Amino acid sequence: MDIKLPSLGEGADSGTVVNVFVKEGDQLKMDQPVLELENEKAVAPIPSPAEGKVIQVRVKVGDKLTVGQVMLSLAEGDGAAPKRSEPSPIEGREAAPTPEATTERIEKVQEPSSAKAPPPGIPLPAPPSIRKLAKDLGVDLSKVRGSEPGGRIVLQDVRAYIQKLQQLAFASTPASTKESKPATPPAPQIDFAKWGPVRKEPLSTLRRTISQRMREAWTTIPHVTQFDEADITRLSELRKQQSEAKGAKLTLTCFALKAVVRVLQKYPIFNASLDESTQEVVYKDYFHIGLAVDTDSGLIVPVIRDVDKKDLVTLAKELAELAVKARDRKISLEELKGGTFTISNQGGIGGGHFTPIVNKPEVAILGLGRGALKPAVRNNQIEQRLILPVCLSYDHRLIDGGQAARFVVDLVQEFETFKEDEAKS
Amino acid sequence: MDPIQTEIVVIGAGPGGYAAAFYAADKGKKVILVEQEKRLGGVCLNRGCIPSKALLHATKLVAEAKESHTRGITFEPPKIDLAKMRAWKESILAKLGQGISGLAQKRGILILTGRARFEDSRTLRIETPEGQKFVNFEKAIIAVGSKSAMPKAFDLGNPRIMTSREALELEEIPAQLLIVGGGYIGMELGTVYASLGSSVVVVEALDSILMGADPDLVRPVMKYAEKAFKEVRLKTKVLKMATSGKQIKVTFDESGQEKVEQYDRVLVSVGRVPNCEDFGLENTKVARDEKGFIKVNSQQQTGDPAIYAIGDVAGGALLAHKAAKEARVAVEVITGETTAFENVIIPAIVFTDPEVAWCGLTEAEAKQKGMDVKIAKFPWSASGRALSFDRTDGLTKLVIDPETERILGVGLVGAGAGELISEGVLAIEMGATARDLAETVHPHPTLSETLMECAEVFYGHATHTFTRKP
Repeated sequence: MDIKLPSLGEGADSGTVVNVFVKEGDQLKMDQPVLELENEKAVAPIPSPAEGKVIQVRVKVGDKLTVGQVMLSLAEGDGAAPKRSEPSPIEGREAAPTPEATTERIEKVQEPSSAKAPPPGIPLPAPPSIRKLAKDLGVDLSKVRGSEPGGRIVLQDVRAYIQKLQQLAFASTPASTKESKPATPPAPQIDFAKWGPVRKEPLSTLRRTISQRMREAWTTIPHVTQFDEADITRLSELRKQQSEAKGAKLTLTCFALKAVVRVLQKYPIFNASLDESTQEVVYKDYFHIGLAVDTDSGLIVPVIRDVDKKDLVTLAKELAELAVKARDRKISLEELKGGTFTISNQGGIGGGHFTPIVNKPEVAILGLGRGALKPAVRNNQIEQRLILPVCLSYDHRLIDGGQAARFVVDLVQEFETFKEDEAKS
Repeated sequence: MDPIQTEIVVIGAGPGGYAAAFYAADKGKKVILVEQEKRLGGVCLNRGCIPSKALLHATKLVAEAKESHTRGITFEPPKIDLAKMRAWKESILAKLGQGISGLAQKRGILILTGRARFEDSRTLRIETPEGQKFVNFEKAIIAVGSKSAMPKAFDLGNPRIMTSREALELEEIPAQLLIVGGGYIGMELGTVYASLGSSVVVVEALDSILMGADPDLVRPVMKYAEKAFKEVRLKTKVLKMATSGKQIKVTFDESGQEKVEQYDRVLVSVGRVPNCEDFGLENTKVARDEKGFIKVNSQQQTGDPAIYAIGDVAGGALLAHKAAKEARVAVEVITGETTAFENVIIPAIVFTDPEVAWCGLTEAEAKQKGMDVKIAKFPWSASGRALSFDRTDGLTKLVIDPETERILGVGLVGAGAGELISEGVLAIEMGATARDLAETVHPHPTLSETLMECAEVFYGHATHTFTRKP
C-alpha cells in the first residue's frame, strides 16, 4: 500500500522534507511521525495515516513533496489488513480570508461552469435575456455555473458570480502586490565581497514566509504602539508561591494570558478581524491566543486554544509542552492556526519596550519586556518595585487610540490586581 | 445642392433594412432609408417569401380538392385564371408595401428612392427620380440583399429561362417545366407549378434535395415530389441550354451519360449572389469575401468603421429573420449597447408539401462531428391531430445532450411544421431540457403535442407510442 502525503490543511499543499523518521523494515503505527516537512508556515511532522511494515521509503531529505505524492510503501502487515484513517483535511479556523484562501477562491471562480461547452452555434444554456445582460455587464457566461437543470444559468447565478468576482478583486489586491513586483524597485545588488570575505546562505522556507508576512502586515496595517508599565511586584510574589504549591511552573506568560483574555472580553474589537473583501468586522467569540516563540530557525506563533476556559495550571502545563515541542520542532500546522490575538513576551531574554508587528489577520498584539526593579512612587514614597514594560501594537484601521489606551490601562490594572484565589484555583 | 445630413442611413428596405431603420428611429436616431424600388420590402416581400407563400396557399387547394374525393367530397377539375391569381397576389404585396411605408412615415424616416453609391466612407450618392442627392451620414447600414444566381452558360437572354423572380410573376403555366436545383426555392416553386398543372422535372447535382435538412425529414417531401412531379433527378448536372423555337433545349449529364430534352420553361434556382456590384464599395474600407459577400464581425461591423452590413449581403444564412436579427444587433451596436450576433438560433423552414423545419443542431451534423447526442423521434402517425386531417406523413425529432438532457436541436416535417418550429427555437434559446418540454402541457388536439410527446419518448414514457426500454 502506498502512503501519500495527506492534506496539510488550508493553504498548504507542499513542503521540503527536512527529516525522515522511518526506514525500511520499520513497523509503523497509526499516527506515528513519518517525516518532517518544512513549508511556508513551519516545520511539521507528518503522521502516518495507516499502520504496517515499511517496505520502501520513497522520499529523502531535501525532496520537495506535494500533497498526494507517495511518501512510502507499507506491507499489508501480518495478514491483518492495514487500518487506514481517511486523511481529513485540517480545518482552518481563521475567520478572515488569508491570501491563501483567496487563491483557492480564484481557482473556484475560474473553474469552468459546465462539464462541457455546447456544440458550436448553440448558445450557452441561458435565456437570451440573461445572455444579453451578461454581455452588457461584460460577464463571460462560460465561467458562470448554472444552477438549474441542464446547467441552465439564471439571473441568480450571474449575480453570485459577480459577487465572487468583487470579493476577489478586493481580496486579491494585497495578494497581488505580494507576488507582483514591489512598488519600489528592488535594491541594486551589492558585491559585499569587495570589502572582505562573505558567506551566503539561502533563506529557509520559514524565513521567507516570515519575511513575506511581516512585509504584508507592515505595509497593509497602519500600526500604532501604545506603551505602559505594570507593577508586577505582587504578581511576582503570587507566582512564586503558587508555583511551589502547584508543582507546575506558573510563568508570567500564564498570568499574561489570563489578564489579556479578560481585557479582550471587555474590548472585543481587539479579538476581531477586518474582512477587507466584504468590509466587515469579524468578531470572534473564542479566545485563541498566539504566543510568539523564538526558535533556532526563526519565529513561530503556536496558538493556545480557548484560554478563557482554562485555569492557570492547565495553561502552565500547555505552555511547558509547547516549549518542548517548539524546541523539537514538533509543532503541527494546526497548532499555528486560528489565533485571535498574539502575545510576544521577550521578558525571558531581556529588554524594555519594543514595537511588535500585528500578526495579520489579527488586529492587535501585546509585547512584554523584561520585568525590572525600578524606583517607583507609592504612597508618596519612593519604593523599589518590579516594573513590567507593556506595549500594545494595533491596527489603526479598526481600532482608535482611545480604545487602545483604555485597553492598556485595564490590562495594567489586571496585572496589578490579580486575584489570589484565582491563582490558587 | 447641399448634402442631407443624417445620423444613420440604411441602404435597402428589405426585412433587414426596414427593421434596422425602424429600430434606429425608435431609438431616437435621425434615419434615412434608401431603396431603389418604389415598393419597400425587398426580395422577401416583392419576389420571395410573401409571394411564394401566397401562391403556395392558393395552389394547395388544388391538391387538397383532388384528394378530398376519398373523404366523400368531389370537385370538378379547377379552372385557373392566372390573371386573377396574379392580381390577388399583387394585392397582398401592395398592402404589405403600403404598411411598411406607413410605418416608416410615422417614425419620421426619410425615404429616398433610387440607386445608392458610396462616394466615400461618409457620403452616399443617390440617383433619385428628382435627380442626384447626396447624403452625409455618421453610420451606414448596408442591407442591399441578394439576387438569384444565373450561371453564364444559362444566361441566354431568353425569358423562358427564369429565376424565382420571374417564376413568381406567373406569366403562364408551362406544360413542361424544368427546375435546375433542388433547394428550397426550386422545391417550393415546383410545388406551385405542379399544382397548377405543369409537368415538373427537378434536377439536382447533389445526391439529395434540400441539402442541410436531415434525410429522414426530407423523405416525406421526396415522396410527395415523386408523386406530384414528373421526376426528381439527383446527381444530374445541366451542361448547357439553347433556344429551340418556343422551347429550351437542355443538355444533361446524368451520372456520366449525356441526355437532351426539350422544355417549355426552365427555372434556375442554383443559389443566390450578393448585390454588391456598382455600389461604390471600393470607395470605402468595406471588405468582401471570396464569394463577394461583405465581411462583418459579430457586431455587424465591416472593415469600415462607419459602415455596417446586415442580411443576405453579409453572408451566412440568406433568410429574412436572420437579417432582422442582425438589424437589431447593428442598431444596438451603433447606439452604444453591448451586443453581438453570437450563437443565435436561426430556424430554417421549407414550405414544401409537407413542410420541413429545423433549428439548432441537426442529427446529421451531430453524427458528422462525432458528437454524443440522443435522438428522440415521434412519428405523426401517432398524432390524433395529424390523422384528423389525413396527413400522417410527419415526424418530430429532438436532438438531446444525454448528459444535461438539454435540447440542442429540433427537426420537423409535416403539414404546418413551419408554425411549430418556434417552440423548438425558444426551447434551445432558453436552455430548456427535454424534461422541461415533457412537463409543459400542450393543448389537445394539436400538432404541438408531438414536441411534448417526443420529449417523453426520450424518457421512454410517451403516451401515444410505445418504446421498449433497452
